[in-house]
Amino acid sequence: MSLLECRGLTKKWGALVAVSKVDIAVSAGEVVALIGPNGAGKSTVFDLIAGTTQKTSGTVAFRNEHVEGLSAAALTRRGMGRTYQITSLFPSLTVLENVRLAVQSCEPRRAYPLFSRLLLERTTEEALKWLHRVRLREHANTLAGLLSHGDQRLTEIAVALAMNPKLLLLDEPTQGMSVEETRGTVELLKSLLKDTDMAVLLVEHDLEVVFGLAHRIVVLDRGRKIADGLPAAVRADPGVQQAYLGAGHVAH
Amino acid sequence: MKYAFPLFSVLALAPLVLPGFHVTLLTEILIFALFAMSLDVQVGYARMFSFGHAAPYGVGAYVAAFALSSGNLPLPGAVLVAVIAVFILAIPIGWLCTRASGVAFAMLTLAFAQLAHAVIFKWNGLTGGSDGISGLLRNHGPWGFAGLESRQGYYWFTLAIVVGSAFLASKFVRSPMGTAIVAVRENEKRAVAIGYEPRRLRLAAFVISNTWAGLAGALHAGFLLFVSPELLHWTLSGYVIVAVVLGGAGTLIGPMIGATLMVVGGHQLSAVADSWPLFMGLLFIVVVVAAPNGLWGIKSSIANAIAVRKAGRLEVDHVAS
Repeated sequence: MSLLECRGLTKKWGALVAVSKVDIAVSAGEVVALIGPNGAGKSTVFDLIAGTTQKTSGTVAFRNEHVEGLSAAALTRRGMGRTYQITSLFPSLTVLENVRLAVQSCEPRRAYPLFSRLLLERTTEEALKWLHRVRLREHANTLAGLLSHGDQRLTEIAVALAMNPKLLLLDEPTQGMSVEETRGTVELLKSLLKDTDMAVLLVEHDLEVVFGLAHRIVVLDRGRKIADGLPAAVRADPGVQQAYLGAGHVAH
Repeated sequence: MKYAFPLFSVLALAPLVLPGFHVTLLTEILIFALFAMSLDVQVGYARMFSFGHAAPYGVGAYVAAFALSSGNLPLPGAVLVAVIAVFILAIPIGWLCTRASGVAFAMLTLAFAQLAHAVIFKWNGLTGGSDGISGLLRNHGPWGFAGLESRQGYYWFTLAIVVGSAFLASKFVRSPMGTAIVAVRENEKRAVAIGYEPRRLRLAAFVISNTWAGLAGALHAGFLLFVSPELLHWTLSGYVIVAVVLGGAGTLIGPMIGATLMVVGGHQLSAVADSWPLFMGLLFIVVVVAAPNGLWGIKSSIANAIAVRKAGRLEVDHVAS
């Protein structure tokens, strides 16, 4: 069975059907991209999986367990991490404190009410390790709110990775980045995903990023799944070309 | 804090050189400082504005008064009973109040405080109504504690509790729970996304903050040996908010300084003008406008500016060499 298995995911907002009977499966170590034009329902699918929006019908199974009704915090503790489309950090805490909070959340004593030097040292060391991996070690003591946009996006990725998730939901990780920053982030993500069995479900508009990272692509259009397959097959799918990619992309 | 030990030493030695009136004033300051520090845990770290913080203070004072009068418990025992009672009461009240946030939370805390005030005011048979309970004694009990009867003895008892509480509070705000509470304050959605439960953390902050307020209230009962419904009045909730904002929320020490100013200002200014709250009000407005992070915030800003200047100078020297 897949790590994540969604069957018949449906979300209605009154008469509007935002997501209709979508099936998505993600296996360990797999990078699956969820693409589609604006309003296709990508973010809604993300929110339904992450438990931040209640679905109308369908099932979500994560690590062989039905996780309907679980809070977002409980899902996180079961190994589902996520980043947000709009950067979401603790702006008046340092970069190190942001990542350390994520490391701490995996500790059994994450809500221990008294200061522990040993715990602090251990979580700090782990957080610095992650900052080193996303090349932000030198910004460890900078307030997160003062970082450049690109570095804030990287901090967000470090926060998500620091919890050692089994599944990472990446919501437009390169959104708002320059071309250079985007290329750097794709290379960084590739190196981070190498030699790990962590699965990734990626929502991204930048098709260069999608084709650079994804093992498989799921295409949504007006809330329905219209394609699901290997990048080359999806690129060649006439229905996808019609709905999203456009003729210009086919030749590449 | 490098000044903690010298400050504690000066405070511990103060009764040996100060006249009795000043020892009484210092005791009053310490109790109000503990009360303000307790609110800071809620307001400064969890950003939960309580307009009813007088309730746990007053309930703590009344429970200690009952324990001293009816229960005939020794003073430390009465204080302990009051703390336990406020802790237990704070759990269901906190559970209800933390269902809301922002203004709704503030209104709920005010409502519970007014309710507690009304019960104590009306329940003549038990609480003495508007007259309160007077003539309390600092019982010795079977283990002694005779020293607590004196003004100095009670001052040292209060000082030990307040210093111990401040030490514990500083450990608490830097603990995993304290940092998670700050994370929820900063960005609740993000805190949830990394696995924290905001409601539980807010409830913990509420209960801990209320329990410390109950401890301050119990010390108040033992200090004045008299309790009245005024201890639960909304004006006291207002005074303690002013102390926290004046000193600087989210610093622990700031609210204690704010509380000191309020008590000293009240004593000194009331001797020269009936309308002394007007002066405190003006000071409050000036601080809020000119130094939104409170008086302790001014000190931190100056220290930061000096550090930045020093760092800049070092960099210039480095480049020059």
